[in-house]
Parts: sequence; C-alpha cells; structure tokens
Amino acid sequence: MSSHGQAAEGRSNGVVLRLDDVHTYYGAIHALKGISLEVREGEVVTLIGANGAGKSTTLRSINGLNTPRRGRITFEGRDITNAPAHEVVKLGISQAPEGRRLFPRMSVYENLEMGAFQRSDRHALKEDVDRVFGLFPRLAERKDQKAGTMSGGEQQMCAIGRALMARPRLLMLDEPSMGLAPIFVERIFEIVKEINEQGTTILLVEQNALMALDAANRGYVLETGQIALADEASALRENEQVRKAYLGET
Amino acid sequence: MLRGHMPDGASNSPLSRMGAILTGPRPGFVSVLGLAVAGLVLLWLFVNAVQTPELFANVALIGLTNGAVFGLVALGYTLVYGILQLINFAHGDVFALSGLVGFTVLFSVFKVSADAASVMTVLAVLAALAITVPLFATINATIEFVAYRPLRHSPRLAALITAVGVSFIVQNIGLYFYDVRFRSASQLLPRDPVFELGDISYSWNKLIVLLITVPALIALTWFVRNTRQGKAMRAVAQDRDAAAMMGIDVNRTISVTFALAGSLAAIGGMLFLTQFNLRYDTGFELGLIAFTAAVLGGIGNLQGAVLGAMLIGFIQAFNEGLTWLSPGSDWTRSIVFGILIAILVFRPEGLLGERTPEGA
Repeated sequence: MSSHGQAAEGRSNGVVLRLDDVHTYYGAIHALKGISLEVREGEVVTLIGANGAGKSTTLRSINGLNTPRRGRITFEGRDITNAPAHEVVKLGISQAPEGRRLFPRMSVYENLEMGAFQRSDRHALKEDVDRVFGLFPRLAERKDQKAGTMSGGEQQMCAIGRALMARPRLLMLDEPSMGLAPIFVERIFEIVKEINEQGTTILLVEQNALMALDAANRGYVLETGQIALADEASALRENEQVRKAYLGET
Repeated sequence: MLRGHMPDGASNSPLSRMGAILTGPRPGFVSVLGLAVAGLVLLWLFVNAVQTPELFANVALIGLTNGAVFGLVALGYTLVYGILQLINFAHGDVFALSGLVGFTVLFSVFKVSADAASVMTVLAVLAALAITVPLFATINATIEFVAYRPLRHSPRLAALITAVGVSFIVQNIGLYFYDVRFRSASQLLPRDPVFELGDISYSWNKLIVLLITVPALIALTWFVRNTRQGKAMRAVAQDRDAAAMMGIDVNRTISVTFALAGSLAAIGGMLFLTQFNLRYDTGFELGLIAFTAAVLGGIGNLQGAVLGAMLIGFIQAFNEGLTWLSPGSDWTRSIVFGILIAILVFRPEGLLGERTPEGA
C-alpha cells in the first residue's frame, strides 16, 4: 500500500513515468477520476481491473490519444500531459495497443518498419528487425505475409515487435493476452520478462491478473476510474480482495 | 473500409459460414445476370468492331484519353475516402475551379494567343500547371483544415453534408469570378496526327493528355508505395490511432493527402480545359462521374480508381461514338449512374476492393 504517492520528484530515484491526479473524459463521461501512479526504471508495473475500469484510458492518456482535462503526466521529468501522440513516441514511449491494431494490409516486415517510423537512425533498422525476429522467430517466417491474415497470437507478437522497433524506454502493453490460446499467453508473458531483462521498463495492462502479477514487480488495481489498491505484485497476489475479485477465488 | 479491425478468423466463424449458406443462391443468380449483361455488351462491341473497325478504333482512343482525365479526378475521391472515409463532394468543383483558374493563368497572366498551337503554347500549358498545381494543392488542404478537420470526431454524416456545402461554396466562387460562360483552351495543343493508319488517327492534343497523366499516375503510385510520407498515408488509412502511436503526425498526413488530391484535380482541370470546355458547374457532373469511377474500381483503391475511370471513359466513348444499336449521348448519364447503382447493390467493394465487415 505504501509505494504509491511517497516518491520524491524527479529522476533521481529512477521514476520514469508519473501520473498526478489525472482526470480524463470521453465526451461527457468521466473515465479517469484522479489517477496517480508511477513507474520506476527497470520495473514491470501492471494495471489490473475489470472491463471499463479505465485501464486502456490510462494508457491513452499517457500516449497522447486522449488528453487529460486535469492533472499532470511526466515522463523522465518532462511534462507530456498535452503532448500529441506522435510526439510521445519520439520521447521514448511506445505501445502495443489493445486488439493489436496492426496495419492489416501491410506485411509483417512493413508493420515492423512502421514501428520505427519516427526514428532518425533508420540505418539501425535491420539490427532491430533482427532483434525482434530473435524474440519471435515465427515473425521471421512470416515477414512477407499480410499482417491481417495471421493468427491472433502471431498478430500479438507482431504488435509487440512493432512497439519495440521504436526503441522505447517505456513499453506499454495493453491486454497482450486477450483472446489468445493458453500456449500463446504463456509465451507472451515469457517474452515480456525477456524484454524487461534486456532493460526496457514495462507498463502492462491486463485482465489476466494472475499472469500479470506473476510477471510484474508492482501493481495497481483500478476500479471505476480510480486506483483502489497499489502494492508490490507479490503482496497483491496474497491480498484477500484481489484474490476474490480478480483471481477467481471464493 | 480501410480502417476495419480484423477480429480473429471472423470469416471462418460458424455464424458467417451460416450466412454464406443462407445467401448462397444470391451470388449465383447475380453472377449469371452479370455474365449475361457482360456477354451482351461484348457482343455489341464485337459487332461494332467488325462493322466499322476504323470508327471503333478512333472511339476507343477517345475513350482512353477521356478515361485518363476522369482518372485524375477519381484518384482525388479515392485518396480522400481511403484516409478519412469521407466522400469529398467538393472535389469535382475544386477540379472545375482549377480549370477556370488555369484559363486565367493562360490567357490573362501569360497572355497566350489562342489562335494557333505552337511549341510555345504547349510550354505555356505546362507553365500554367506549375502555378495551378501548387495553388490547388494548397486550396484543397485548406478546405480540409477549415471544413473537415473540426468535424473529425463527429459522425461521418456531418462531414458528408459539410462536403456538399463546400461543393456549393466552391461552385459559387467559380460563378462569381467566371460567370456562366464556358471557357476553353482547345486551340492551344496541336491537333496534328501522331499517327494515321487508314482512317484511324490519334492527334497530339490527345497524346499530350496521356503524356501528362501517365507519369502523374506512376509518380503517385511510387509516392504512396515507397516514400516515408506515402507509408504514413497508408498507415493512417488502415488505422488512424495505431498510426499516431507509431509517431505519425496524422493531421499532417491528412493535409498531404488533400494536397495530393488537389494537385491531381488541377492537372485534370487543365487537361479538361484543353480538350473540352468548362464552366463553374462542370465539376458537379464530372465529379459524380469520377466518383462513379472510383466506386467502380473499389473506393480507397488507387489502381481501382484508374481502372474504373478508364472503363467509364470507354463506356462513354463507345456509347456516344459507335453507330450500330448504340443508345447515344442522351443515355450516357443514365448508363454511367445506372452502373453506379448496380455496383452499390451487387458489388459495393468495387472491382478491385476487398470485402470488409463494414462493407464499402
């Protein structure tokens, strides 16, 4: 319970991303009612919660697709509250969005290329494609296939690979396990850990709370646009409330 | 149709298989009907070609030339539809206004004398393009900025109705500055034949249209396929939010798309001016014809727009030029817009479009 709201300002203690009392609306709907959270360098932080709790809206507030009406978002000490989406990528945050959102009529390779769209060091493209193919050998086999014709699991790999092509310092994953076969779900979470071990900070949104808390260092539980709980992942896994509501125990 | 997300294996779900069984007989009937109509048309063309081969060849060349001009305008519809799912009804009027402004540039700014074609007058047409193309690129991008961008998150109908409104505004600007007279620059391009085979001939003024249109089409295709900006256009067309997440400036990309569409319209307007005559309201009907061409090819599909425009060009020319059992020019509109209705009913995705859950 204690990790939230106590850290000092700035990068000194390794806080990469900080949300301060963020309020976001969809038209007249008050979707986020004062979200405060932080992600420190090298961590995997997970946001869990039911459908409609505001998990994806939190990510959309960070990545610039929805601008918060109140509150402040800082990334590496820089205010990005009002930054447009294409600027946020440039600053070092990329995302594999919910539902994958690949470019269906582009090949796998072109999708990966799009991931590096904003980078100026485009000569390093090959190197990064090789890195992604190393993580997901399946994508190498399918590099010329139209992304829209692949299976859900393959599309998810491609979406994560595409996000990595931006060389993010913070990678946001929105429901990476959604709709996937169990074998793919496990593989995806292994990859999440692997990416994190290679040095990328990760903010992970999941409905599969059990898997998410296994992969994460810390977690936040969202309920109707507010943070209900915040703690170490191991502590949340033991938490009575969480076990009942999200881990399917009675 | 370009933004549809793809649910996993949607096409294989039991529900859609059921749908395929239920609707099974319909495509069968439609394809039989379609084949019958296509067969009759081919027979009609064949008989005409046998009876009057020279006329047939001449008319086909006219169709090719007109189709190229339609194609320039149809591409503007399809580019904008592809990226915004908006049918930009103002596009035809932008095209007509560009022709009228082209007339001013030629005869008032460059003071070309309209009596005789020469190398100088051909160069003047090219120089006038160098003025109208950037001008109408800017005008079209401005239209998007002023009229469509504020409605980006409104229902599509709002933007569509606004497009009709912009169409009237542009048309009336043309009326205000150019009154109701027709303008033409048909004397500026030489009409000497490029080749003559018996009675078949093709004149320079028509060839110049192809010499300008074909490179423009190749350049556009190359731009969209290979450049960074072109890739951004394709990405925005396929998924706007995902494109933004890749670092693509969506607003800028949409502006570039409108600028491209405006450039093509300006080339089309100038070429139309050198072939036919036009006035403030020419864009209304020609816009609808070009829109039909875009839908025929599969709206949102660049190659489809050109293919559709060529087909419409041939249909119009054959209908008006051939002699045996030809309905004649009184029927051209009915035929072209009859085709539009038939496509929307039987194959809304067009000839080259893809079937998507949203339809076309």
